[in-house]
Amino acid sequence: MNKNTAFNSKRVILGCLSVAAVIAIYALVTSRPDNNPALLPPITDIITSFWTNLTSGSLLTALGASLFRISAGFLIGTTLALVLGCLIGWYRNIEYLFDPLIEAVRPIPPLAYIPLIIIWFGIGEFSRVLIITIACFMVCVVNVIAGMKNVPAVYEDAASTMGATRFQVFRTVAVPAATPFIITGYRVALAAAWTTLVASELLAAQNGLGFLLQEGRRYFLTDQVMMIIMIIGACAFIMDRIFRKIQAHLMQWSETRE
Amino acid sequence: MPEIRIENLTHTFGKGQPNELTVLDNINLTFESGSFNAIVGTSGCGKSTLLKMMAGLFAPSDGSMKLDDQIIQGTDRRRGMVFQQDAVFPWMTVSKNISYGPRLRGASAAEQREIEAKWTQAVGLKGFENRWPRELSGGMRKRVDIGRVYANDPDVLLMDEPFGALDAQTKERMQSDLLETWGQSRKTVVFVTHDLEEAIFLADKIVVMSARPGRVHHIEEVSLPRPRTDAMRLTDEFIQIKRRLWEMLDH
Ligand SMILES: Nc1ncnc2c1ncn2[C@@H]1O[C@H](COP(=O)(O)OP(=O)(O)OP(=O)(O)O)[C@@H](O)[C@H]1O
Ligand SMILES: [Mg+2]
Repeated sequence: MNKNTAFNSKRVILGCLSVAAVIAIYALVTSRPDNNPALLPPITDIITSFWTNLTSGSLLTALGASLFRISAGFLIGTTLALVLGCLIGWYRNIEYLFDPLIEAVRPIPPLAYIPLIIIWFGIGEFSRVLIITIACFMVCVVNVIAGMKNVPAVYEDAASTMGATRFQVFRTVAVPAATPFIITGYRVALAAAWTTLVASELLAAQNGLGFLLQEGRRYFLTDQVMMIIMIIGACAFIMDRIFRKIQAHLMQWSETRE
Repeated sequence: MPEIRIENLTHTFGKGQPNELTVLDNINLTFESGSFNAIVGTSGCGKSTLLKMMAGLFAPSDGSMKLDDQIIQGTDRRRGMVFQQDAVFPWMTVSKNISYGPRLRGASAAEQREIEAKWTQAVGLKGFENRWPRELSGGMRKRVDIGRVYANDPDVLLMDEPFGALDAQTKERMQSDLLETWGQSRKTVVFVTHDLEEAIFLADKIVVMSARPGRVHHIEEVSLPRPRTDAMRLTDEFIQIKRRLWEMLDH
């Protein structure tokens, strides 16, 4: 336990060190007299932009809108991926049915659907959530299927010789044995959700973090652009940390946990 | 009581394909009810294949396999198997592994705890009930495997080189423990091993197989009295059997 805490605090200190170094170098560069603040705004400007947007409420509104889209798209996409991926990975006939379809659709980047979705559904909230859902589903389902296919045969055999029905083998062996893959699927889905969120908001939104980015570019508010990028980075980082906590909890049994 | 009868059994992997491989050829065997049987033979002679077919994991390409005059078809909890590979579920603690079978059949929490207590004790894993399998040594994991199958209370126990990877002392201790547990319930056991001494020490009947394709080469009845003791390993009778089998396998 003690050793673990020591290890963790060392890790945190070193991690902070690299972030601090980047900030220090940025501060140094922007404090030079020949620096163009329109391209590289000083840190104080970025903080001011943060404060202005925070107090005016626009930042929180944007954050709320974006987080809603991410959560909705992520939850729907990964849930569908989990259900369908388990079925495809476990039942041969369902695999034969869906596999060609998934293999054909998989290489298409989700952003390519944006024009079609706008034509079909307009630029409303539904379209944005739909794009994120598709992106999350596609990256997640592949991992769930791989997890189901990689269940060691000896575990299945052991369970069935102890009297487990096919469905019991699925529930008590295949799903737990596949959890490392499933969790990986969820994590890459989360990353995909952020990517598609910003892209869809850049293209078609009246609010959200991507919209604030777009606004910053249009009015040359470089400090605002920088500030939003950092907010996105921070949010994605926090979510990933939460995810790792969940992962560590679910994967206590695994030899390869962090 | 459970008697296994194997008649004219032949098995060919990939039948009809260019790379087909006949692994077992015309096997005829009877394993009497409540007896302890060993199968010895060189690597690749089809011992695991035979055992898996008895478990019902796949069907022979020819011939039949019966348990009490009923053709073996599919897996059944009456035929428990300890696999050659490590089959302990890494996502369950030791005690959850042990009570896996009863849990499948909806055993109550109290029943599960009772079974867990009984069998972790019986296989010498007391104090490790709540450990993850990754925290155990190879020999301890094998004990979990064995305890889990025993806790499921099958009529027939199929064991595929369960002690293959253990050091000599641990192995001998586990052999004695196994005989003790078996003596209390008298299940029909089929025990595959490479180790002649192990086969003689444990079994009433030893099936010696020859390789490529696997055939029954010889059947040795071991008349050493029971309960068996470690001292018997040094008796003349024991050593004579060992020499006879050893010469057979050498050919
Ligand atoms: N699923 C399979 N498909 C094709 N060939 C197989 C399969 N399983 C086993 N074999 C082949 O059958 C032969 C016998 O295998 P088996 O595992 O039964 O041997 P074994 O007697 O248990 O050997 P060992 O003592 O090394 O465990 C081997 O030549 C192996 O290559
Ligand atoms: Mg084998």
